[in-house]
Amino acid sequence: MPQKTTSLPVLALPSLRSDAMQSESARLTTRNESRFRVDYPNSIARSVKVIALDETGRRLVDQIALLPWARATFFTSLSHEQSPAPLRAESNAVRAWLNDIAGQTKSLIEEIEIADVVVMIVGAGSTADAAPLIGEACQLRNVTAVGLVLQDEETTDEAIERTLRKMRQFVTMLVVASGDEYAEAMLTALRA
Amino acid sequence: MLRKEQNELLTQTGLGTPMGDMFRHYWIPALLANELPENECPPVRVKLLSERLLAFRDTEGRYGLIDEFCAHRGVSLWFGRNEEFGLRCPYHGWKYDVTGQCVDVPSEPVEGGFCKKIKLKSYPLVQIGDVLWTYMGKPEHEPPHPEWEFARVPLEQSFTSKRWQESNWLQAMEGGIDSSHVSFLHRGSLNTDPLFKGSKGNQYNLNDTRPVFEVVEQPGGLYIGARRNAENGKYYWRITPWVMPSFTMIPPRGDHPIHGHFWIPIDDENCWAWSFDYHPVRALTPAERRSMADGQGIHVRYVPGSYRPLANKDNDYLMDRAAQRAGITYSGVEGIAMQDASLQESMGPIVDRTKENLVSTDNGIIMARHRLLKAARALREKGTVPPGVDPDHHRVRSAAVILAAEQTFKDAAKDDLIARPGVAQSSV
Repeated sequence: MPQKTTSLPVLALPSLRSDAMQSESARLTTRNESRFRVDYPNSIARSVKVIALDETGRRLVDQIALLPWARATFFTSLSHEQSPAPLRAESNAVRAWLNDIAGQTKSLIEEIEIADVVVMIVGAGSTADAAPLIGEACQLRNVTAVGLVLQDEETTDEAIERTLRKMRQFVTMLVVASGDEYAEAMLTALRA
Repeated sequence: MLRKEQNELLTQTGLGTPMGDMFRHYWIPALLANELPENECPPVRVKLLSERLLAFRDTEGRYGLIDEFCAHRGVSLWFGRNEEFGLRCPYHGWKYDVTGQCVDVPSEPVEGGFCKKIKLKSYPLVQIGDVLWTYMGKPEHEPPHPEWEFARVPLEQSFTSKRWQESNWLQAMEGGIDSSHVSFLHRGSLNTDPLFKGSKGNQYNLNDTRPVFEVVEQPGGLYIGARRNAENGKYYWRITPWVMPSFTMIPPRGDHPIHGHFWIPIDDENCWAWSFDYHPVRALTPAERRSMADGQGIHVRYVPGSYRPLANKDNDYLMDRAAQRAGITYSGVEGIAMQDASLQESMGPIVDRTKENLVSTDNGIIMARHRLLKAARALREKGTVPPGVDPDHHRVRSAAVILAAEQTFKDAAKDDLIARPGVAQSSV
């Protein structure tokens, strides 16, 4: 045990205690006891929808979609009906579709309804026009929305700020990352 | 979740390991200055990064951090005599100076120069603030001395302590960048601890238990911003800087001193939790200093004669179920530091991260691990100096600010996040 150099009496040293005197906290936090932790799965795979909001996001989604994932699905763009007023996500009848990497279209609302997490990927400086519709649809259905903003060495603070401002109110977590590899690290960490 | 090999890479810091190599690029806190209070005082055993070392202060006040064991028969030099410019082994009288150079082997003729052929491994040890710092890497890579603000303000403005934590460094450090636990684990302390209570920010913390996070990279590491609702559509931001590999700061509250930590590996199953408090523009009051010494705030009370917390695993952290039930403490453990440490130690000496289930609000932790892995790989493969070595990266501060909804904290609070001598912290 690391000790001070003072000459005060040293009490309760582990080496002076027998096993019988050890508390459960002491006895059960050893490396040896770690071997007896229950070895059954403690979760089931989460449904993660990864959606590119611009060309930077699309390029990255195309790459990482090729990796093995548990229940992640990848979409390269959002298309929706033309409307003079901003589309609202309250209604299940909202006509918006996600385009997956195979070129198929899926209903935005149906995909979000079965999602646990939605990850929007966008380059810094993008206007992230699809973020409000996707984010609002997530909020209304209590689905966690995450924004991943990609920057590179030439990205300006102003560009980052523009994109963050657009996305902030529609996500519960915003990450600004340099380098493409963070998307894979994050999705792996989230067991996507 | 991390893969097993990633977890091992991040948690092992012995000599020759990737993370061990990385830690050996930084100046790290080794001892409190008052552990070597005077010339020729008793030496102190120090274990850092899985290396057994001995610190001493010689007749002229020079500090040394050397291999703990005599080169002759492997005796611990902790038993040595600190006298006349060196440390003499009591077994056969071999003597070493602060650089580890053997300067006397009584059994051998002086003329033969035998002692010049004996030298123990040694590392530099320098005092900055109330801490003795060491650099355990190659001499040719030694960086400039650290510039952390807590160690550079006048001594009357700061207070530093350390405690032994019986877990790997990484699970301890990850607690320092996990802002979302504050509203739960520490909620009982926010309004009662003398070093936390009374700030307006506490009410934002307690009223909004679902903060929204933004994680942005900075040259030395990360800023992790936690946003909670304030009045009139504005946001209350608590911004935590993390500087690689293991420096974290807690956003301030009111005019209380700012606090933070270093998490330094002792070995792979133990670490030092260094805890500091400082005020950038004023001396700590006697009451503040007394509270810190008495184990309030982020500090602890000790088992007498040691740096082991008084509440520790041997006494079940003095768990108080009645206080837990009454809401006086959320977990039943008293004190902010031990509330964290008790849970982190309960994970086991090295937590198995293959079994964890992180959620989106854990992105600060995910990003920190990602950057550590990336830097360790870049160091090993290309010799790239890791972030956080450059003293410019040390000049950071945590901040607590109210911003308009459309403002981005990294820009709007840019000046608040820089250590500025003579300028008070930005706090709510």
